[in-house]
Amino acid sequence: MAETATVPTYRRTGGIGRLLERYPFLPALVIVAALLLLNGFFSPNSLTLRALTGLLSTYMALILLAIAQTYVVYAGDIDLSAGAILSLVNVAIVVLMERWGGGAGAVFLALAIGLLLGLACGLVNGLVVAALRLQAIVATFATSIFFTGFALYVLPVAGTPAPALFWRTYGGRLFGVPFVFYILAALVILVAVMSRTRLVTQLLAVGDDQQAAYQTGLPVITTRIKGYVLCGLFSALAAFCITGDTASGDPLVGGKMTLYSVAAVVLGGSALSGGWGTVVGSLLGALTIGLINSVVFFMGTPSEWQNFVQGLAILLVLMAGVLAGRRARS
Amino acid sequence: MSKLKLSGVSKAYGATLALRRGDLELMAGEVHVLMGSNGSGKSTLCKIIAGSVRPDGGKILVDDQPVTISGPRSARAHGIGIFYQELSLAARRSVEENISLGKLPVKSRVFIDRSELRQRAARYIGLFDGVCGEGFSADTLVGNLRPDQRQLVEIMKALASEAPLLIFDEPTSALDRAQVERFFEILRDLKRRGRGIIFISHRMDEIKAIGDRVTIIRDGETITTLNLDDTDPAAVIRLMVGGAGDMPASQSSVPAVVEGKGGAALTVRDLSGRGFRNVSFEVGRGEILGFGGLHGQGQSAVLRAIFGAGSIASGEILIGDSRFDAANPRDAIRRGCAYVSGDRSRDGVISGRPIIENVTPIHYLRDRLLIARPGKLRDRVAPALESMHTKFASLFHPIGSLSGGNQQKVIIARWLIDRPDVLLLDDPTKGIDLSAKADLFALIRQLAAEGLGIVLYSSEDAELLGNANRILVFNGGSVSRELTGADRTRYNLYQAAYEAA
Repeated sequence: MAETATVPTYRRTGGIGRLLERYPFLPALVIVAALLLLNGFFSPNSLTLRALTGLLSTYMALILLAIAQTYVVYAGDIDLSAGAILSLVNVAIVVLMERWGGGAGAVFLALAIGLLLGLACGLVNGLVVAALRLQAIVATFATSIFFTGFALYVLPVAGTPAPALFWRTYGGRLFGVPFVFYILAALVILVAVMSRTRLVTQLLAVGDDQQAAYQTGLPVITTRIKGYVLCGLFSALAAFCITGDTASGDPLVGGKMTLYSVAAVVLGGSALSGGWGTVVGSLLGALTIGLINSVVFFMGTPSEWQNFVQGLAILLVLMAGVLAGRRARS
Repeated sequence: MSKLKLSGVSKAYGATLALRRGDLELMAGEVHVLMGSNGSGKSTLCKIIAGSVRPDGGKILVDDQPVTISGPRSARAHGIGIFYQELSLAARRSVEENISLGKLPVKSRVFIDRSELRQRAARYIGLFDGVCGEGFSADTLVGNLRPDQRQLVEIMKALASEAPLLIFDEPTSALDRAQVERFFEILRDLKRRGRGIIFISHRMDEIKAIGDRVTIIRDGETITTLNLDDTDPAAVIRLMVGGAGDMPASQSSVPAVVEGKGGAALTVRDLSGRGFRNVSFEVGRGEILGFGGLHGQGQSAVLRAIFGAGSIASGEILIGDSRFDAANPRDAIRRGCAYVSGDRSRDGVISGRPIIENVTPIHYLRDRLLIARPGKLRDRVAPALESMHTKFASLFHPIGSLSGGNQQKVIIARWLIDRPDVLLLDDPTKGIDLSAKADLFALIRQLAAEGLGIVLYSSEDAELLGNANRILVFNGGSVSRELTGADRTRYNLYQAAYEAA
């Protein structure tokens, strides 16, 4: 992948170009704002706090999954098993909470185990891709099948409910503020802290030019493994949100979400070839996908046309982002 | 006491023996020059020391202790720092991050210590204060820098390793003279402080200026080590090329030039565009016109603009008597204009493809070939490659299997199948070895004798002085001085380049 990542020489950037260089997620931010306006235009009710809370609690899982994906994409890798990890953690915690009685202690213990499970899955991916040097796309596709199989073993049929304590907290309010906003705030802090770590810079350096990073003396293999472990952890967090939102376990819930997470990363302005991007961009990218779905719904698109319109809208947004970037750079 | 000693180090890639027997002894406080033609194994030797290539055999001693260097990290731990010829920078990271990338300063064990990072970068950027050029600062992305500035960052990165043993593999190929001089001052200072430095360069004057001893490598084998004070360039070159001592005198500063045959091949009047303004000159048929001056003063920009690859705001270009304003390189090629860039990987080589495909694209374009038979093409390609003494196994080997010098010969050969009227050479000898340079200039003179108009931009003064009939010295995007006849001296060239610079 390093070979395809050519960097233009003598690039002179103007004011907007420099701004974009600092904040590559700006186009995504503009698009999110535009989509919010569109939503408001088609249905003024969709901009109420209640509606936005609903949007956030539905798409918080995708946001987290997109963030998870970002860390592997930083290093020029990809994780096609992120959705499967989400499913596995989802069913594991639902089954454990039910088995342990659904009290507060059981919930926390199950969540801790869910995190460990995500970490273990990430470690497996990391070892397979970075240490064994298998192709990331195919290797993580294979582990995704494996994780899905494990999820089906844990819970063969969808439907086991999560304890009320868990989903009521997720969907409820704390001191009058919806709980998902606390999650969002915590997430922003977490991401800001993460961005200052040495690991993130090392991931980006590895993704920029793996050979150069190796020659510089960076621990390339360990760094890539750590990227996958981070991805596993954030996928587990995404699983907590999906469990809170759907209030049940479903061994196939994450399958479709994997490619959405990849799309969100790209919509957020990150380079799939690695070395370039922001987590905030991915967050906005995930919101973009959520908002597109909501616009399509509020526009009153007939159900048989919804997928068609959604796909077209994502393509349009992608194109707008690319054009904005190109214009600013020239 | 020797800081580093290699004996009998070898490395093979499949059937090709990159290094047969590498011996080297480096003392503290010396600049040890490694010399050898391209593909002789210098870079392999350096990479073995730096850990990025694992040797197949041989012994390495650091401070008289036998060591195994298992990778770049282990090399760093043994106190070895390296400047990579092909650079090891992260293009989308800032200058300051790149300088410290090998050992990022941390606080609380996981977070990057930004203030320490900044201070460290400032220390090494400060060493090159005043010669970094515009647009260079600690927070610029490396990908936005000019090639010479990137090379400076790689130098700073090597220096920042603070390793007692430093390797510089062609660190000066893109630098201008002021930058080189500053770099040499820094090297001399490091030398005084007892560091051991391995230095590779193809520029004889640099080697004389900075080196203490020289080790000569030929065909993967260490030939000998000499004191530079006891030897002369001619002797070193003889040792480098081995038995084949029939080198043309192109490296000498004797201005052996063909007289102009009358009639202008290329006329440029008041040409202005991005990076240059009001440039006027005429190149006669059979003339070699030199472009000189410090690096990046508009020489390349003018050449690329004529070839249709740059921007032209105003002005006029004529080839022969007819107006020539190529909209794009494709147009320029059709109308008999040729351009050879020193930046092979960007402008010349079709990487991963066979040699024959790399020789023929211009032929396809000029003859509007749609379907070609390899057998017929071979007959046309072979003489072009032979006239350059290109060494290759077969036409169907990938271009990447050739050394840098031979790759450049292939690139030049592609213009020789259908002769152009004008040949633009944009620092064509960057990073190629002395014997390939000699072949190249012999050919350029021959082409001039056949009536081509040639423009030669070279960052090496000796090449200009030895080959160009006239030299235009560029300064800040326009021609500041023209040197003809007896004025073409190293002193004048040097002086004109630095005027008001």
